[in-house]
Amino acid sequence: MTKYALAVDIGGTFTDVVLISSDNQGWTDKTLTTHHDLLEGFFRATDLVLGRAGITLDQVGDVVTHATTVVTNVLIERKGPPTAMIVTEGFRDVLYIRDEHRYDMFDPQIEYAEPLITRDLTWGVDERAYADGSVGKGVDAKAVHAIAGELKAKGISSVAVCLLNSYRNPANERAVRDALNEAAPEIFVTLSSDVAPQMREYLRASTAALNAYTVPLAKPYLDALIARMQDGGLDSEPLIMLSNGGVVGARVAGTYPVRMIESGPAAGALVAGYIARQYGLDNLISFDMGGTTAKACLIQDGEPLVVGDFEVDRRYRFKPGSGMPITVPSIDMIEIGAGGGSIARVDALGLLKVGPDSAGSNPGPACYGRGGVQPCVTDADVVLGILDPDNFLGGDMKLDRSASEKAVNTLAEALDVSMQDAAYGIFSVVGESMAAAARAHATDRGVNYRGMPLLAFGGAGPVHACYVAEQLDSNQVIYPPMASVLSAYGTLVTPVRLDLARGGLSRLGDLDWDSTSVLIDDMLSEGESALLEAGLPKDSIAFGFGADLRYFGQQNEVTITLDADPRDAKNIDDLRAKFEAGYETLYGVRLDDMDVEVVTWRVTAHGGDTNRTAVADVASDPTNPKGSRPVYLGQSNADVPVYDRKALAVGQEVAGPVIVEERETTAFILPGWTFTVHQDGSLIANRDA
Amino acid sequence: MDGIELEIMWSNLISIVSEQAQALQRIAFSPIVREAGDLATALFDADARMVAQAVTGTPGHINSLGAAAAQLVKVVPPEQLVPGDVLITNDPWLSAGHFFDITVLTPIFRGDTLIGYAGSTIHHTDIGGYGIGAGARDIHEEGLWIPVMKLYEGGEPNETLHAIIRRNVRTPDAIFGDLAAQVSSGKMGGERLNAMCDRYGLDDIQQLSHEIISRSEDATRADIRKLPGGTFHGETTFDVPGGDLITLKTAVTIDNNAGDITIDFEGSSGPSPHGINVVMAYTHAYATFAIRSMLNPDLPNNFGSLSPIKVEAPEECIINAQYPSPCNARHVVGMYVPFPILKALAQVVPDRVLAEGSGAVWTIQIQGRDEAGKPFTSSMFNYSGGMGARATKPGLSATCYPTGVAAVPVEVLEASIPIEFTCKELVAGTGGAGAQAGGDGQKIGFKMRTGQEWLLNAIPSRLNTQPEGLDGGEPGAQGAFLINGEPSLEAKKRAMGAEDQVIMQTPGGGGYGAAN
Repeated sequence: MTKYALAVDIGGTFTDVVLISSDNQGWTDKTLTTHHDLLEGFFRATDLVLGRAGITLDQVGDVVTHATTVVTNVLIERKGPPTAMIVTEGFRDVLYIRDEHRYDMFDPQIEYAEPLITRDLTWGVDERAYADGSVGKGVDAKAVHAIAGELKAKGISSVAVCLLNSYRNPANERAVRDALNEAAPEIFVTLSSDVAPQMREYLRASTAALNAYTVPLAKPYLDALIARMQDGGLDSEPLIMLSNGGVVGARVAGTYPVRMIESGPAAGALVAGYIARQYGLDNLISFDMGGTTAKACLIQDGEPLVVGDFEVDRRYRFKPGSGMPITVPSIDMIEIGAGGGSIARVDALGLLKVGPDSAGSNPGPACYGRGGVQPCVTDADVVLGILDPDNFLGGDMKLDRSASEKAVNTLAEALDVSMQDAAYGIFSVVGESMAAAARAHATDRGVNYRGMPLLAFGGAGPVHACYVAEQLDSNQVIYPPMASVLSAYGTLVTPVRLDLARGGLSRLGDLDWDSTSVLIDDMLSEGESALLEAGLPKDSIAFGFGADLRYFGQQNEVTITLDADPRDAKNIDDLRAKFEAGYETLYGVRLDDMDVEVVTWRVTAHGGDTNRTAVADVASDPTNPKGSRPVYLGQSNADVPVYDRKALAVGQEVAGPVIVEERETTAFILPGWTFTVHQDGSLIANRDA
Repeated sequence: MDGIELEIMWSNLISIVSEQAQALQRIAFSPIVREAGDLATALFDADARMVAQAVTGTPGHINSLGAAAAQLVKVVPPEQLVPGDVLITNDPWLSAGHFFDITVLTPIFRGDTLIGYAGSTIHHTDIGGYGIGAGARDIHEEGLWIPVMKLYEGGEPNETLHAIIRRNVRTPDAIFGDLAAQVSSGKMGGERLNAMCDRYGLDDIQQLSHEIISRSEDATRADIRKLPGGTFHGETTFDVPGGDLITLKTAVTIDNNAGDITIDFEGSSGPSPHGINVVMAYTHAYATFAIRSMLNPDLPNNFGSLSPIKVEAPEECIINAQYPSPCNARHVVGMYVPFPILKALAQVVPDRVLAEGSGAVWTIQIQGRDEAGKPFTSSMFNYSGGMGARATKPGLSATCYPTGVAAVPVEVLEASIPIEFTCKELVAGTGGAGAQAGGDGQKIGFKMRTGQEWLLNAIPSRLNTQPEGLDGGEPGAQGAFLINGEPSLEAKKRAMGAEDQVIMQTPGGGGYGAAN
């Protein structure tokens, strides 16, 4: 019997859905995201795509996967209910004091995100653990019971607990949780030692606060999803995409919403990894450009890089430091304020700047005709001739070319160049700023970006990718099919996976394998039970191992991947050698005389690879261009042929400059490049030798 | 070059220096660098003019580094430099004002041609001598003085200099780890700059540098010309370790024809016998920073944007230290340098200035023996008081202006030395009331867990003088420094008993405008 896998990605603007059958047929659709009740859009999209395939929910059979912006929405709109925190007595302002850093030295007007938990809802308990793991003072359950009484009186439903040095010894945090559970079992408790067992109290408190704040909305959301799926005749638990690129069952995900903040973007990066593996490419840069931002992610050995911390909800001019830090594993992505709606301006030095300010979708670029008068990236694309004002969203949305020209002209006057040169300036500056960010990101990680192929998606990605590729010395750009629902597709090609970490600070020479073994066993059992709950058979669950190490005296770790359970070989020299190799790649030096210490042990629990693909709809006979139009390429206008993507045939080769139009996006291939249509429907553009 | 081409190359330069700074911060051993961000990196053109600087760091480092390159190149001129050379100094008068800050400058060659320099300044964990604090009686007691020299010659280490440094510091492994990081960061900067020149077909960066610097200078002068001309006065008074009162007086002269500003510190307090004297380079760094942050914080900070701002001070003055004045804890005075300037500017651009804030961050260093009797020396660590209120926004609590360094987390310190913190909380109401309130200070308590005597070096300030409010705003609360509950005003290292407890309450910031 045919089985179907269903994937839904709820983004800020659209809810995308993909359905793939076990005989490799695919259906996609998208609807507007319903912010007042995200599940409404979820099921509207689901009904649409099921209708197209002519089946009902109970016939799905294979998995249902889901990436969602629910947690981000709760944060940005501050929709969470009043949330409380319990800390070590004497440290109640940990969220207000932050790390004391003024993130922009020159600008005295900077602002910070308001803490999610206020001081009047923060309680101290008299307890103490030390950095060596010893407990100076335990927790008095009666004192916690008294706090529980106050929490109940105030109607609090969720509390974060962050005690000093709990990354080293979680006993006191667990005692607080047990006491809270006794006195107020209905209150949800987040322990910092569970969500982020790592050194640095502010980072841990911020992460725990974020989890506690979002859980009262995320958990009911996922519970409702499970219930409605069951009502529809689907018994298996939906799988939820996490920020680190893993998927876990909805129940586990609902307990740790902090792990799913970057759910959608992570899914996009995963497709890039999947496509890299499909094409036999070791390395790839994913390039996802939308309306307000562009995101890039490095794929190494077929996998996106994962980092330990990132920042959400930047409040002041997109500046790093103005948001809230969270320390959970996440796909390592750069995001810069450069999208179709990014505004171009001339600064005090007479330099052309693009972004980070964005006209968004309302009023949007001048060409949207909704009152925007500032020149945006999309306006430049229209003026240059890359975008057809009559064919935006398949012609459903007319663009106003004269409005674009007027807006770009104001900029041209300020720069004292022609209107077309100003437009090409916007096109090249936005491309360069993306390339510069990608270069910095890659070099920062010891990765040589030169020659890495690009994967272009998002509404504006295919317009700009070829130019960005040239700036990165890249010779190949891949334009995948389903580019506009690529993230939803990404959740379907991902094995079920959970990444776990436990602090285990010790110099390598003094490593105590007994206590290390307890940490690793603990992670193995947590990983296994989460995957069993997600419906995986026990024999399909495998584990990967890793560790974060550093030179003694430094504070930034290098994460290494181990070939096997480190307890098998107990090989200290091998750990050191792997660390030093990684360190040298990143920083170009080795410090032979320095001690090395392990900071964190890591375990990844994962299921087997999935094999869900859909055969693309590709024409059988090569087509001719449907027309042509003049495009300004920096020096002169060229008459550029325009193809309809649906009409292209497998193996068809077209030399640039060329424009390929589809409903949601337009691919622009520069002169000096030639694309070929792959059998899976991708356009693969190669730079001419 | 038009504004489009220039923007593309300029953003390349910025990303080069920012990457260098990030890498340095990540691999530093010195906790004040890696946790607090006390470092600077910059790129210079072939004339040793600062073109681009990283967006991290502190004013004291960045602007001092900006001026240092030209000083170093005066001592070792370009014709004596070959590829693989690396220059070093910690001369307070040539770089950042005390021995702890070591500046490393790497000449960048394109083929055989010198096209620029990559520089960095970071605060090292130790430099021998007195250690952190103001107790030394002259500069030589403060530690090892490294004149401008080659740390590497044609790629080979200068073994003599390496041996001298190794024998004269308490934590040689950390110092050499951090120096290696500075050297590799300079090398990386050179490689990146060459890669950028390859990408855009440039032989050197002179035209690019000229464009950036002249446009920055023109924009700065244009901003100054929009201000009313005249001379405006400001004055600030604060107390320093030992209890002395220091007054800084400023006359800020705005010449709105020429488009330049002169800051004159005539009338300020004379030299101090303690190690709190400030060299002119550091005074210049904080004075120019004050103008830049109020006038045009969005403009890039480089030779061009700094050159219309002139700074003068008489020789007999605490902020124009002369040899052999001690200057180890120069930040405790240096970080107050912006406040009289802000008060003068309050008469010119009242919407952009801040009320007086808590001033300098409070810095601490601890030495002792652990329970097993093994000696330890902590890194310097620091805490902020409240920032002064802004015209339309309150002051930030426990956050410093002018510097912006982060605090070392409690857990990081507790894991590195046997210390126990007893509290770290804001003190509500210590920020001055006003239409906009000043930021609150914080209360930090700690004791040692060693059962042994220990040494405390602490550099608080504003224990007896309040930060003034502005335009009717109330003053912020003064700070308190208590040992076992008793106020302590000592300027020198203190011998502490095993059970002694320290409580520090940092000052609040002044309010802005009368409260309703």
